[in-house]
Amino acid sequence: MSLLEIDDLRVTYAGRVRAVDGVTLDVPQGSITGLVGESGCGKSTLGRALMGVLPGVGAITGGRIVFEGRDILALSERERRALRWRRMSFIPQTAMNALDPVQRLSAQMREVLMERGGLSRQDAALRAVELFRLVGLDPARLAAYPHQFSGGMRQRASIALALALSPALVIADEPVTALDVIVQRQILDVLRHLQSSLGLAMILVTHDMAVVAYACDRVAVMYAGQIVETGPVAEVLARPLHPYTMGLTHAFPDVHDAHMTLVPIEGSPPSLLNPPPGCRFAARCPFADARCHAEAPPPRMLAPDHRVACFHAEDAPALRRRAAEPATWLTVP
Amino acid sequence: MSHLLEAIGLEKTFRSHGREVHAVADVSLRLSAGEALGIVGESGCGKTTTARMLLRLEEVSAGTILFENDDITHLRGAALRQFRARAQLVFQNPFDALNPRFSIRRSLTEPLRNFGVPRAEHTDRIHDALARVRLTPPAAWLDRHPHELSGGQLQRVVLARALLPGPRLIVADEPVSMLDVSVRAGILNLLREARDTLGLGAIYISHDLALIRYVCERTIVMYLGRIVEEGPTAELIAAPAHPYTRALVAAVPVAHVDQDRSALPIRGNLSDAPRTGAGCAFQDRCLHAMARCSDETPALRMISPGRKVACHLDGVPS
Repeated sequence: MSLLEIDDLRVTYAGRVRAVDGVTLDVPQGSITGLVGESGCGKSTLGRALMGVLPGVGAITGGRIVFEGRDILALSERERRALRWRRMSFIPQTAMNALDPVQRLSAQMREVLMERGGLSRQDAALRAVELFRLVGLDPARLAAYPHQFSGGMRQRASIALALALSPALVIADEPVTALDVIVQRQILDVLRHLQSSLGLAMILVTHDMAVVAYACDRVAVMYAGQIVETGPVAEVLARPLHPYTMGLTHAFPDVHDAHMTLVPIEGSPPSLLNPPPGCRFAARCPFADARCHAEAPPPRMLAPDHRVACFHAEDAPALRRRAAEPATWLTVP
Repeated sequence: MSHLLEAIGLEKTFRSHGREVHAVADVSLRLSAGEALGIVGESGCGKTTTARMLLRLEEVSAGTILFENDDITHLRGAALRQFRARAQLVFQNPFDALNPRFSIRRSLTEPLRNFGVPRAEHTDRIHDALARVRLTPPAAWLDRHPHELSGGQLQRVVLARALLPGPRLIVADEPVSMLDVSVRAGILNLLREARDTLGLGAIYISHDLALIRYVCERTIVMYLGRIVEEGPTAELIAAPAHPYTRALVAAVPVAHVDQDRSALPIRGNLSDAPRTGAGCAFQDRCLHAMARCSDETPALRMISPGRKVACHLDGVPS
C-alpha cells in the first residue's frame, strides 16, 4: 500500500481558477517523487493542499487524499493539525519562510520539539543537536540567528526543522531553486541521504528535470493543473510518452553535450479560469489532432508503472524522434 | 588584433564596517566582435559587479576599460550616452524591466528618442527589432501592455529594446533564470542568432555552466572577486584546471539517471571562506591545498594557448 494516495483531487482558487484539476497520484513509502512542471501548473498548490495550508482563497473542491490509510480530508482541523510536523512536514523554497528571523535557531527547534512533539526541554536540546548533525550543520551554531547563516545553511536548518518530529512524508517546494549550483547539489545530497537513512518518503516539487534526474526515484509531470505522465525516473527520462515531457527533455542545455540544439516549446499554458475542453497541452502540441482538442485524454498505464494521459502515446517512439527536431515545434500555430 | 572590449586590471572595492572589501580584484579580459564570453561563478563572486563596471553602470575603483580602442573608463555626459547606445544590458527580470503603464510601442520608442535616432526611422527600426525576436506581426504587439504578455514574450521585448539602438556589445545577466523552462530555449536561441547575424560581442553572466556552454565559446570562472580560470568553454568543462572549476562542473545536474553522485570535490560553504588575508582565496575549500597556497596568492598564468589558471597546482589530481 502506498503511503499517500491522491485520488482525483481538485483545488480551486476564488471558486473559479481550477489550479489542481483531477490529480491522481500514489507516493510509495521510502521514495522521492519529483513533481515537475512550470510556474502556474499547480505543483505548489498540490503540495500546499496535501499539507492543508492553502491560502485563504484556495479550497479543495473534490477528490480524496488518503495518507497512512486515513482519508485526511475527512479529519477535523484539530486532527489535521496533529498530522502536520509529526507525520508530514514541509520545506519551503525560501528557508526564511520557515525560519523566524528574530529567534535563535535553538529556540525555534525547541518550540517545535516541545510544543508540537511534547519532548522535555532536555530531550529537545539533545534532539536539536542530533538534527543539526543530520543535515550537516555544526551543533555549535544552534545559538545563531537565521541571518547569520548563508542561504545553504538556512536551507539545511529548515530541513532540520521539517525533520524534527520524524515525519513519514516531507514535501519540499523548490528547495534548491534559489541556491547556487554547488549549494544546490549539497542540499540535494542531504535530502537523498535523509531519504535513504531514515526511510522517508518525499515529494520534491521542482521545475528542473535535471534535479529530478539527480535526486528522485519517481516523477510526476504536471501541466495546467493535471498530471500528464508518471513513472520511474529512469523510464520517463529514457522513454517519455507525453509530448510535453518529450519537449521538456530537449528544453535544457546539457553541460556535457557539445552539439545540442535546444528546442523551445512554443506558446504558453492555457488559462485555468476557463481551460479548453480537450487535452490541456493540445494548443502547444505538434502532434495534436481534432480529437485532442475535443476530448480530454484519460491517464492510461502503457508500460509497467508508467502512466500517461495522451491519445497518441502508442506512437511515442516515432514522436520522440520528431520531438527532437526544432522544426517540429515551429509547426504549432 | 583589435578587440571590441578590453578590460585591464579592474578593481572594485567597497568600505564595509571600516574595512576595505574587494568585490572585484584584478580582472582583465578581452572580447572580439562576434564572440560570446561567459562569466560564471556563484553569488558574491563578483561576476555581476564586473559586468556592471564593463557597461559603466558601476564606477571602477581601479583599472581601465577600452571599447573599440577608446578608453571609456571615465566617460561622462554625451560621450557616455553614446557608449550606452553601443553597449546594452539585457535585464534578468523581464517582469520589472518594462514600465507596466507603457505600451510596448512606447517602451520601444523611448530608447530611440533617448539616443537621438531620427523620428522617421523609428517605425522601421522597431519592426526590424520585433522581427528579430519573432514577435510578428508587429501590429499585434505594439499596443499591448506588459501585463498582457507572458514572461517569455516580455523577455523578447526586453531583448528587442536592447537591440534597437544598434549596439556592438550586449551583456546578459542571467537572461533566462526568471523564465519558465519551456521558453528558456527560445530566448537562448534568439540571443545566439542576434549575435551571429549582427556580429555582436556578447557577455553572459550566469551561475549555470550548462547555459554558458550553450551560448559561449570562451568562459571565465570567478571566485571571490578574482578570475581563477579562463579558457574555451568545452575544454574548461572537459578538463578543468582549477579545483574550483572542477567542483562547479561536477555540481551541474544533468537530465540523465546515470550520473556521478559522489561527494563534490570541495570543502565547506562559501560563507566560511575568508575574504582577506594572504594566499589563495580558495585554499580553505580546496582538497589539494599545500603550504604554498596559504603564503602566496597564485597569479593567473597561461597553461596552454587560450587557457589560464590561477592555481599553484600543475593540473588537478583526479
